Amino acid sequence: MTKRFFLNGLVLLTALTVGLALAGPVLAADTIKVGVVGPRTGAAAATGKAFEEGIALALDRINGQGGVLGKNLEVVFEDTAGDPAKAASGIEKLITKDKVVMVLGESHSSAALAEIDVANRYKVPLIIAEAWHDDITGKGYKYVFRAGPCNSGVVNDNILGFVKDNGFKKVAIVAENTDWGMGIKQLAEDGLKAAGVPFETIITERKSQDHYTELNKIKNFGPDLVLAFVYGFGVHYFIAQANEVGLSPQPALILEGAGPPSLWPEFWQTVGDAGNLELFVSRMHKAVQLTAVAKEYGEAYQKKFNKEPTDYKSRSIFDVLLIGADAINRANSTDPDKLVEALEKTELTVGSGVVKFDNTPGSYRYHQWQPPMLIIQWQNKEQVVVYPKAGATGELKRQ
Amino acid sequence: MSDFLLYLTNGLVIGFIYALSALGVSLIVGIMNVINFAHGELYILAGYFSALFSVGLGLNPALGMALGVLAIFVLGLIIERTLIRPTYGNDMYSLIITFILSIVLQNAYLFVFGPYPKKPPNWVRGSTEVLGLFFYGNQRLASLLLALAVIAAFFVLLHRTWFGRVVRAVSLDREVASLMGIDPVRVNLVSFGLGCALAGAAGVILTPIFPVTPTVGVGVSLTAFVVVVLGGMGSFVGCLVGGLVLGLVENFGAAYISSGYKHVFGFIILILVLLFRPAGLFGQRRL
Repeated sequence: MTKRFFLNGLVLLTALTVGLALAGPVLAADTIKVGVVGPRTGAAAATGKAFEEGIALALDRINGQGGVLGKNLEVVFEDTAGDPAKAASGIEKLITKDKVVMVLGESHSSAALAEIDVANRYKVPLIIAEAWHDDITGKGYKYVFRAGPCNSGVVNDNILGFVKDNGFKKVAIVAENTDWGMGIKQLAEDGLKAAGVPFETIITERKSQDHYTELNKIKNFGPDLVLAFVYGFGVHYFIAQANEVGLSPQPALILEGAGPPSLWPEFWQTVGDAGNLELFVSRMHKAVQLTAVAKEYGEAYQKKFNKEPTDYKSRSIFDVLLIGADAINRANSTDPDKLVEALEKTELTVGSGVVKFDNTPGSYRYHQWQPPMLIIQWQNKEQVVVYPKAGATGELKRQ
Repeated sequence: MSDFLLYLTNGLVIGFIYALSALGVSLIVGIMNVINFAHGELYILAGYFSALFSVGLGLNPALGMALGVLAIFVLGLIIERTLIRPTYGNDMYSLIITFILSIVLQNAYLFVFGPYPKKPPNWVRGSTEVLGLFFYGNQRLASLLLALAVIAAFFVLLHRTWFGRVVRAVSLDREVASLMGIDPVRVNLVSFGLGCALAGAAGVILTPIFPVTPTVGVGVSLTAFVVVVLGGMGSFVGCLVGGLVLGLVENFGAAYISSGYKHVFGFIILILVLLFRPAGLFGQRRL
């Protein structure tokens, strides 16, 4: 009797499991999936954390307002670690296995340059959030959009203006030997040359932890500003060591060209007091709320995480998800070509401003929207906006 | 001139630290003919422990460091007993097993500690003006002194104690040593533990300067192997010289040739040495 009971139970269990497995996809079909790519490990792993926060807030907002096409939006977040090989296989997995209708995000140019090829090949819309290399949109791929900064935008609209406005006399450029680093360094050099400001460039490895040699070379050049294009924890060591060798904050201020590393919690732990007067690029500050959505974002973040938002990339991915959901709703379909059409017609208010893509082909501006960027200085552990002057909350301090 | 002195100082500091890190590998290679691929992972585990003890538990940094090294020593004993001992007589297996161990540990660290860099607080802050010519970080100088102390202690252990004599004997000729009454299994156990402890010592000394993440171990292991091969397998003086050579070449190369390819110079030197002196600079099975 026990044996029969056991066997019957086993058959019943199998039937239930198979039934549920078959019903699974049917139940799951009540959501629309999009993929997010970004660094959950690697030198910029803290951005992965910021992305997670932004994704959570975006899902709350989007699904709270009815979702997309009447269904809930679901996000699958794939780790690309800033490595092109991982990025290509990650996005391929999202497209072929998870069957996402759209891919969003990315924070490393090397990874993004690999992803745009895959997305374009599979004809899946890809909206880049925070990978800055011009070529990402410069290649003119139909399915690739960028609702985030590009190197040209950051250098021409912000960094060069900042240098000229404040009369810096000699600039040292330190760039990591990655796609982003080399790209932005070239633009900075061209801009400084055109402006007649003497400069010197030093290349460094992103993973390097010892910068004494590079710093000594810079010190001999005698700059009053150092542009540090290093995206990762490596820049913390750079700043701490710059202080040790007597380079910063006197005689030279450091402008960290990526932004988030100066906002990560480990910054003050590793850098100590050397972080005071350090400058960095950003697009979020509590005193500079350009839209109502920005205010709502700040409030939602405070409510959900019990602290103020600090890393601007959490809002970057939030904005991009809003753009994606809006496009799906306006296209009233998940067909890729209809989505591209809808994206091109985007006019949406997000946290960083009002999004409108430029659809003129032939340059990096194709399918690009440059959000307004800020240059912020740490003054006594407070963030003070020092550029552009129109949005400044304080004066630049040199000592 | 002050430039040259800065590069020289930095090269020596980094070089001594490379040497300390490589001593552990060399000891294990010399005694047991086992290449410990998990060397870098033990280095960073010691770093994590010292960060955990001083930051998480609030212990005195020195105590945190000592406990960290002790923990790695014990872990080394356990690894030897469970993983290495079954592979005696077959060098290939031990190589594979330590390689697998390194991968397992890397992923374990990612899971347990997360991807962010961790470090214990600096023992000293600020910098000193050296000879009135350049500034050098105090933490680096402190680490250098401690590294020198550990290296010196190791050589004293090797040449002035009974245990050191045993180690040298087994390294020269295992069979004859066992005929003389030395228990090679016991020696292996303690040597492996000691090798791991040396990796751990390098870890706790360096972590205040270079925070640890789950993957920096790969670079550490690689550097240690380069130093050991450069200096000659099984030679501790070779380790010291190899470490210094590597540190100096890297710094001078980065300073005068190119800083983007800093790590290539070490490999170039390695290739040159191996071409002309395949056994390494001091390579002979002699301590």
